[in-house]
Amino acid sequence: MSQATEEPEQLQEIGHDEYNPIGTLALIGLYFVILVLLWLFVYFVEFLGNDPTVIGAVLTMVGLQ
Amino acid sequence: MSNAYIDKFPAEAKVVKAAFYSSFLALALGGVFGVIQTLHRTDIYRFIDSADYYTVLTAHGVFMVITFTIFFLVGVFTWAVTTSLDRGVEDIRFTWSWVGLMTIGTVMAGVAILAGFVDSIDISASVLFTFYAPLQAHPLFYLGLVLFVVGTWVAGADWFRSWWAWKKENPDARIPLPTFMVLTTMIMWYIATMGVATSILVFLLPWSLGWIETVNPLLTRTLFWFFGHPVVYFWLMPAYLLWYTMLPKFAGGKLFSDPLARVGFVLFLLLSTPVGIHHQYLDPGIAEGFKFIAMTNTMFLLLPSFLTAFTVVASIEHGARQRGGTGYFSWLKSLPWRDPVFAGMALAGLLFAAAGFSGMVNAGMNINYLVHNSLWVVGHFHLTVGTAVALTFMAVSYWFIPQVTGKELWNRSVALIQVVLWFIGMTFMTNSMHRAGLIGMPRRTAEPQYTGFEFETAVGSVGELNAQIALGGVLLTLSLVLFFANIIGTAFGSRSDNLPDNGYAEALSGSDDAPRVLDNLKLWTAIAVVLVIIAYSLPLMSIVDRGGLFGPDITAFPANLESVRFLAFAVEHLGTAALESAGTLAWNTLPEVIR
Repeated sequence: MSQATEEPEQLQEIGHDEYNPIGTLALIGLYFVILVLLWLFVYFVEFLGNDPTVIGAVLTMVGLQ
Repeated sequence: MSNAYIDKFPAEAKVVKAAFYSSFLALALGGVFGVIQTLHRTDIYRFIDSADYYTVLTAHGVFMVITFTIFFLVGVFTWAVTTSLDRGVEDIRFTWSWVGLMTIGTVMAGVAILAGFVDSIDISASVLFTFYAPLQAHPLFYLGLVLFVVGTWVAGADWFRSWWAWKKENPDARIPLPTFMVLTTMIMWYIATMGVATSILVFLLPWSLGWIETVNPLLTRTLFWFFGHPVVYFWLMPAYLLWYTMLPKFAGGKLFSDPLARVGFVLFLLLSTPVGIHHQYLDPGIAEGFKFIAMTNTMFLLLPSFLTAFTVVASIEHGARQRGGTGYFSWLKSLPWRDPVFAGMALAGLLFAAAGFSGMVNAGMNINYLVHNSLWVVGHFHLTVGTAVALTFMAVSYWFIPQVTGKELWNRSVALIQVVLWFIGMTFMTNSMHRAGLIGMPRRTAEPQYTGFEFETAVGSVGELNAQIALGGVLLTLSLVLFFANIIGTAFGSRSDNLPDNGYAEALSGSDDAPRVLDNLKLWTAIAVVLVIIAYSLPLMSIVDRGGLFGPDITAFPANLESVRFLAFAVEHLGTAALESAGTLAWNTLPEVIR
């Protein structure tokens, strides 16, 4: 019937020096904001919803004891 | 006359095609068992005995994450090496030998698992994907796994052989990026499989054959996870290879940076293995300090993951801008969303970003306790291996299958519907699995319904969660049916001259910009081995010190089987004969190699 990948219509050639991935920065920035919000949400799920599960003192955490 | 892969490499195309078809067969079987267990555990439709649930679960796990993924990987890697070095394999018989080994291994392990459904045959391997002792499988299962892994080792040797031959002719050239990715991934795999090879050959296989009485379950578990974390990167690396080297092309652009891609793969080689203990945060026999070190190493893995996120998205954006895209976000509209190959791979990447979050929760030692062994983890890996990997593989098959068969894709619209359906199905299934895990719903359980106890949900209800999981499972099954219809339709089509050219994306910043040291595979191998020694020697010594090499007296489950004695006898004799002939062969060929 047809090819799986049609040749993309390229309107212009953008070289290494004239390309600024500003959209990537915007997308990854958005992802970062979502991650931060989810981490804040974890605080409520983990520490307010249940008893804290951190165990031992700092020394046992790093295996010095 | 087209310029497809099959036109240039007809013999290799047959190997790649055989690998892909084997992987699809496993995907089909795995899919059937997947929908059975989804409907069973949510109590929507039960027609198997709950005891058989664990056989179904083993089959689903092993066929999906060992057979499907790894057979697809060897196909992609063979394509990548031959295409990027622009040379055929050195000896096609050698190439078919590893395909044969992997196939025999799969059949043996598969028969052992499926025989668990038949009561009259006293063979079973309902040990789940992780085969933790004291769960014991029939020796056929372990032998099958060994052959399969040996097959992948030989495959790696085949690719290294191609590279060495190429290097002789091109002494000063940089390793082409796809081959570089294959080689670094295989070095990681050689290091990682040492763990599972030791676990099976020294402990589990002799134990199942009755040669040794007991094993140390914590030791075999730890050796399993020594392999068990890098294996997830073994699934992911071919998907990464395709995201870096193919997706920019499908998007109409170029790879943003070849050096960054190389750095990413080197970091995965270094960091994949010394982190396995993060799967064992709840294992009581391992000291907190060792777990803390594993967690620190795991957090370092975020670095190559984010490097990949940046490079791949920037490469896609380059395509969009060349197609006339503008703005901060509106460039997304200029991407070829109607192309099933691009759409499938991009949607797979999108869900992988969500998996990044749940993965960070898994990796953190304290919040891991909240979700450990719950359905959350199942939700997580259905986003990673079940979507990032599986959906990428299915989508790219729509490009690959025409390349290796020389036939046009049967139906492009069905392909687009298929990838979107997978995305929707997985969204339903995994969001609800994560939420079910948060309320403590266990994984690996046939009937997570308990009398006198009810899970408390903050939002929604258990019924709603189950409905979403089952709906997701049904949509995924539908998606699989469409996938197979398309593959079969394509396979029965006729040869075409109207195929896209074989090839991979060029780079904006090419290999000349990459420091030479990145191609020094010996250096990276040495550092990777040192990191593994640092991360694992003390924990392993302490486990052996506490529980003994062969452990405390444990009772195997299920009890020893009658047929095993004959097999033990046969293996002993075959093993001796094989060792003898290998010795003779080495004795005869070594002088030639040295000369």
